[in-house]
Amino acid sequence: MKLATAIIESAMVSIVSVAWFATAHAQDVVKIGEIEAQTGPLNTYGWMSSQGMRMAVDEINKAGGFQVGGKTYKLDLINPDTQGNPQQALIQLKKMLEEDKVKYVFGPFLTNIFKGIEGYAKQHNGQFLLMGGATQIHYELGKPGNDYLMRTWNWDAGPSGFGTLMVEDLRKKGVKKVAMLMQNDAFGHVAADIYREAFKNAGIAFEENWFEPGTKDYSAVLAKIGAGKPDYLFPGYTDAVLYDIVQQATQLGLTKFWLVRGSLGPALKNKDYIDDYIAYIPKYFEEAEKSEPKVAKFVAAYKAFYKKDFPYDQAPLCSSSCYDHVYMLVDAMKRAGTVDDVAKVKAALEGFTYDGLWKIRYDNTGEEIFNFDIVDVQKGGKISVTHEQPR
Amino acid sequence: MKFLLAIPLFFVPLAVHDNVVLTILIFTYLVGILAVSFNLIFGFTGQLSLFHAAAFGLSAYATYLSMVHLGVSFWVGALIGVLFVTLISIAIGAICFRFKLRELYFAIVTLAFSELIRLVILNWNSFTNGSLGINFTLTPTLWVPGRGVIPVAGTIMWYYLSLAAVVAAVFAYSRIVHSWMGRCFASIRLNDALADTLGINVFRYKLVSFVAGNIGAAVAGSLYSFYISYIDPNYFSLDQSLAIIAMALLGGREFVAAPIVGALVLTALPHVINVNAEARLLIYGLILILTILLMPRGIVGLLVRRRHAA
Amino acid sequence: MLQLVVGQLLNGVIVGTLYAIIALGVTLTFGITGIVNFALGVFMMLGAYVTWYLTDGIGIAYPLAVPLAVACIALIGLAVDQSLFRFTRNNLINGLIVSIGLISVIVAIVLMIWTTTPQNMHYVLPGVLRLGGVVVPKMKAVVFVVLLLVILFTYGALTRTWAGRAAYAYAQNAEAAALMGIRTGVLQAGVAAYSAALAGLGGALYASLYSITPEIGSSYILKGVEAAILAGIGSVMGSFAGGIIIGVAEGVGSIFLPSAYNDAYGLVFLVLILLLRPAGLFAPR
Repeated sequence: MKLATAIIESAMVSIVSVAWFATAHAQDVVKIGEIEAQTGPLNTYGWMSSQGMRMAVDEINKAGGFQVGGKTYKLDLINPDTQGNPQQALIQLKKMLEEDKVKYVFGPFLTNIFKGIEGYAKQHNGQFLLMGGATQIHYELGKPGNDYLMRTWNWDAGPSGFGTLMVEDLRKKGVKKVAMLMQNDAFGHVAADIYREAFKNAGIAFEENWFEPGTKDYSAVLAKIGAGKPDYLFPGYTDAVLYDIVQQATQLGLTKFWLVRGSLGPALKNKDYIDDYIAYIPKYFEEAEKSEPKVAKFVAAYKAFYKKDFPYDQAPLCSSSCYDHVYMLVDAMKRAGTVDDVAKVKAALEGFTYDGLWKIRYDNTGEEIFNFDIVDVQKGGKISVTHEQPR
Repeated sequence: MKFLLAIPLFFVPLAVHDNVVLTILIFTYLVGILAVSFNLIFGFTGQLSLFHAAAFGLSAYATYLSMVHLGVSFWVGALIGVLFVTLISIAIGAICFRFKLRELYFAIVTLAFSELIRLVILNWNSFTNGSLGINFTLTPTLWVPGRGVIPVAGTIMWYYLSLAAVVAAVFAYSRIVHSWMGRCFASIRLNDALADTLGINVFRYKLVSFVAGNIGAAVAGSLYSFYISYIDPNYFSLDQSLAIIAMALLGGREFVAAPIVGALVLTALPHVINVNAEARLLIYGLILILTILLMPRGIVGLLVRRRHAA
Repeated sequence: MLQLVVGQLLNGVIVGTLYAIIALGVTLTFGITGIVNFALGVFMMLGAYVTWYLTDGIGIAYPLAVPLAVACIALIGLAVDQSLFRFTRNNLINGLIVSIGLISVIVAIVLMIWTTTPQNMHYVLPGVLRLGGVVVPKMKAVVFVVLLLVILFTYGALTRTWAGRAAYAYAQNAEAAALMGIRTGVLQAGVAAYSAALAGLGGALYASLYSITPEIGSSYILKGVEAAILAGIGSVMGSFAGGIIIGVAEGVGSIFLPSAYNDAYGLVFLVLILLLRPAGLFAPR
């Protein structure tokens, strides 16, 4: 027993000391950080971003790095797992900015993480760029003192927002009532605020129902919703809940779904029981792989790199703080002629359109605009895709 | 005498300029208050309370909301937070102990109350902003001779504030534990039925211990929430309560200040071990298991010889 | 409205039976080994994953995959008991922490193998039964019947077989039982394996109803512990009733009150019952 404890103690001490003293300083390296939830119940968004970023960094480094101002640089990716915990994310961000002297941080996609690090990030305005997909970031863009902030996803609302477009499509179909069933968490409420407004403007009745994240059996609340006879159900925002909601809803006679986040998986699994399933899918990869060479190359590279099947249903989320964004940042640094001057790099990012898996550009508040797909799955699995170009 | 150990900590910021290390220490001290106060209820009185995270969160919300709606200073707000938690603890403790809930039943009922409170805070959107949480725009202020009233901001100030708080907490709990009250707690821990026959008012002392412990959690809550300037209903989660138990066990149940060591290990660990997320979860689990099986008296218990009978 | 309530009563009973099978594992473990094994939640999750892997990954027919998965989880439960929980007998706190550590370890391993992407088994028995105006998915009805049979079997085994009565005797007075020749070590190991098997069965059936992720165990163990305590630790049919009470409270509560408070309805019941009957509703007095 005593020997075992001694071994454990010395192991703990050695781990601590090795970690403290092992700070690798490599020459001509640009460090980029990523602050996402890679594990935990809300990790769908962070996981895909981290997968794509690792590939991009590896590819760029394998190709010999990139050249700016006559010097060759390689990328060093620092991507701790926030686990969806704001306190942890705060310490990780502090480490990135103060110890590792990172100037370009991607993430977070989660609203609650963003709120936890916002105060600290703002104190370092001008010293780094935070490029994340969180919906809450939209409201902070362009405000004084927020030059550090950029948003790496399409905005739901606004005249060219995908949400506005999709609500309008519903109105044209003659839809009168939509029932929402959403996670009772930070993002759920942000989404409800946006879409309550959008549906009101379109003259469609909007009913709100909430559930605790982690719920699996929706029978009670779905029965209640069904009694109100909505035209469409607007279900929660992650696949973890969508599969169950769609299956159980179809069992209770609710067969039409409309969603702004989530994959096509739930529709395909239940294709014989749904009537209509309309979803915002940044890119319908199954089709794009066949029609777009860059996408085919990406899919093949993913399979070779991770030696796993390609996650078609999660891949659309690589539209945020992911593969393309690393390449775009490198391009911007080349155009700005600097890897250190954060303001110049940001100006460069906002000054061109990057053509990768997506066509990406930033508007003058620092919010991303990229082309997306609206996919409609109908009973039997018939899929129709509408491609929308950014305006 | 053992307080001399705390003195070098006051000089740390002079030697260490790494903000990350200081931040980890600040979190350690604040969470340490949580763990130490929990240990009064758990280690010394033998009651497994799962209400601690609720006391932590309630005080945080009460402090901030009273500052916003009543316009008081942080210190008055914190006092209000502590008072609020005291009242609720008396109510819940009275219910539990009057009905003589023991061990597992006590744990589950305190958990139930904690969960109910969390659900209320989560859904009372108009008052607490629900799941979105609250980003603080106010800060605590201190009156410093010569400079007047200044806001508490920056790592150095928070370091000293949190260090002072944890030293004060350890001192207070140490006084309690080494008094006649502490001996009553010990007898309840060892055998509460026997203590009852000896004339010790078990109900009253269990209640006192429960309330005194939750007051510590309340103080920790007020300070912690203002340090990160953000609160949300996750403060009340079961994970938070479980982490507190783990700290007390890792550090050691027998000594008042030992849980702080547990707090240090659990706070610093995710940032020291640089492996991928799943591996870190695995290591955390292994550490818990190995600690309990091989170091049941905690890290401090391993280093210090046992002084009392049990 | 009546339809809604009846529908949720039925659904609550079915969902409650899933809670009950975990509660049964909790109550057996507590009665014989003196700890609450929170890891039963991850055993349930493992049961779900193994079943899914056997059915969709390897192609074994579902009715065969379930007992295979259950056997597998029972073995894991036994191994874990002999290597870890054997050292925490009757020590509630140590058992609690070890089980929490174990949960992290097992969840981490599942994450490494299968990641956090939700997995969905193919539909074994799609379609619904219509009873009056009320809809009950066929697979849910099957799950209910299977679990009910297992619970009745457990009750029968405990009251009518020698091994079962040995278990009761041990729970009442450990020393006397040992003196009577009951091999307590074997008994404890047996109960540990059986509880894990129950949880694994719950998981195997769960996989046919819902999507699975590594986190599904946590809410089930909590509800299972609530149900076991509500009923009174030590009562087999009590665990069944406890599970149903919580399941129905959640379902019916969500009809009349906001669904956001779903988890609270069971908790309120729990607190009320414990205050009125501190040993639990069905505890022997």
